[in-house]
Amino acid sequence: MRTLLLTGIFAVVLPIGCAPFPDGPSDDEAGPTNVNTRLIVESVQVVGQGSAKISDPLRSELGEFAGKNFDQPLLERLADRIKQELHAPEVRMQVVKGDMPDHVIVNFEIGAEREKRFDLDLARFLYHSTQGWAGQGHATVNIHENAFSFGMVSDGDRLNERYAGIQAGFERRHMFTDRLQLHFDFSSYHEQWNDATLLDAAPGDIYRTRTQFSPTATVVILDPLVVSFGVDFARYRLSLPVAKTESSNAVVSTLRYHQRWGSDKDQGEHEVRASYSVRAGTHFLESDPVFARHAADAHYRFRRGHQDLSIGFLAGKISGLAPLFERFVLGNAETLRGWNKFDLDPLGASHVVHGSIDYIYRGFLVFYDTGAVWDRPDQREQKQSLGVGCKKSGFQLAVAFPAKSGTVDPVFYAGMNF
Amino acid sequence: MRMRTIKPWWVIAAFFSGLAFAMFAEELILSTQESRLEFAAPRVHFLVGKPLERLRNASEVPFAFKITLWSGTRTHVMREVPARFVVSYDLWEEKFSVTKLVTPRRTARHLTNDAAEAWCLQEMSQDITGVGATEPLWARLEIRAEDSKEAGLPFGRGNITDSGISLTSLIEVFSHPAATTQPHWTIETGPVTLDELRRGRRRG
Repeated sequence: MRTLLLTGIFAVVLPIGCAPFPDGPSDDEAGPTNVNTRLIVESVQVVGQGSAKISDPLRSELGEFAGKNFDQPLLERLADRIKQELHAPEVRMQVVKGDMPDHVIVNFEIGAEREKRFDLDLARFLYHSTQGWAGQGHATVNIHENAFSFGMVSDGDRLNERYAGIQAGFERRHMFTDRLQLHFDFSSYHEQWNDATLLDAAPGDIYRTRTQFSPTATVVILDPLVVSFGVDFARYRLSLPVAKTESSNAVVSTLRYHQRWGSDKDQGEHEVRASYSVRAGTHFLESDPVFARHAADAHYRFRRGHQDLSIGFLAGKISGLAPLFERFVLGNAETLRGWNKFDLDPLGASHVVHGSIDYIYRGFLVFYDTGAVWDRPDQREQKQSLGVGCKKSGFQLAVAFPAKSGTVDPVFYAGMNF
Repeated sequence: MRMRTIKPWWVIAAFFSGLAFAMFAEELILSTQESRLEFAAPRVHFLVGKPLERLRNASEVPFAFKITLWSGTRTHVMREVPARFVVSYDLWEEKFSVTKLVTPRRTARHLTNDAAEAWCLQEMSQDITGVGATEPLWARLEIRAEDSKEAGLPFGRGNITDSGISLTSLIEVFSHPAATTQPHWTIETGPVTLDELRRGRRRG
């Protein structure tokens, strides 16, 4: 009888004691502040546009969360990594009850890109202590799948000429399929020339104005392999006593590869960009100069924590007689940094080989460049340079030193996205 | 000249609208418990809107509280006491948990929405030893929901892309005042004396 009574009391009291009544405040707790950390992650899913493109390492990392306790900061970091890897404008984390008690399902929803009807971009900005200022800005109007852009540029860094003028473009991002895009680019520039170039150039090489129109199509062959092809019509007015306009009309074709894998958390993130392009000026398109320009470049980047290592390679060759704007230049803010491009070859060269290594730790940058430009094999001479600076979020400020005997002549440059 | 008279129903309407406003106005209620000044704000609900949305998505939401007390005159700040609370919502139990970030931490669990809000205010009670019984007091309570997202930073992620700085994004960021992105509540009361409070007269 007593046993029955005790059992009855336990049967009544025990469930009451276990029910989630409001607790009085408890002191001395240093545990997690989020009560959901007690819940177990049942599964992690990624939904939305581009979710299929998640790299295998990241996908397996997502799977590892299943069966573990809910950890909001870790999952938010994972959302950031998905956003980074897919270049998604937004990744939202939705947490819902799972099928089993005290389990939750975590859904990462990739947000669709919010179309900006109008956008202004400062695409490039640079100050170089020997070449002066360079800048490029664009205004873009997006209407459905079409983008119309208009920009202005003044650049004395990339080529051996300073070109300043306007750029306009039309882009159709979706042509029947996501795999095909169309571009129409137009530009019109006025040229300024350095004395060293004017001294070395033949009268027929120098032009005062240049206008280019380039319709191209881009096809995604097999992601991440992309091919672009089209034509480039260039007309330039020569600086001769008798005004004369020449045309350089070329067939252009570029093969691009871009792949990224890993993560910057544990094993590190790897990124490879490579491209091979050919531009062929031909009489078939009524081009005055006839030439073939081949260029290949490759970049490998490794990031882990605060460390960032980049290795770049560039090689190119021009056969035939190409106009000066097609020729290869080293000794600017991107190649053989520290060298003066007009000392290396004031007309640009028909052959180029260049390599660079950049290492960044917590924004502190050190780099090493080496390369050569030449027209004839006997002109080929390897140059090297070293530099230090800082680089963060696209901004860069650095001092570069050409490795040569005699006076040390450092070059300072600062800017964004170059 | 004809005199314009005020219709009686206008007076009645004004009276009832004033009464309704007074009834539904957010108010800070003070009371004393021995030597402590306690706060209550039954009509202020901060576990609503965006913060509640985040809580129901299993996120924890930190709230910053601040009590300001003036004594004697409105220009004499007697005390400013900030505190931080972290609120979370158990998806399965559908109850709130609140942790006051002090050493040692104090946590209350299995709370309803109203109980969680009330617990935060209880934790803000102040020792008023030494305050004169007839000294006028004013009190202000400020509550802010904090957001760890860095979207508001001018050079935050999303504003700098591979194609350069998006000037449009920067203009968008600067065109919104910070206050609109951060849920916040401010309520005040006073003047009131401890004598009045002890006599049970509450001031709103």
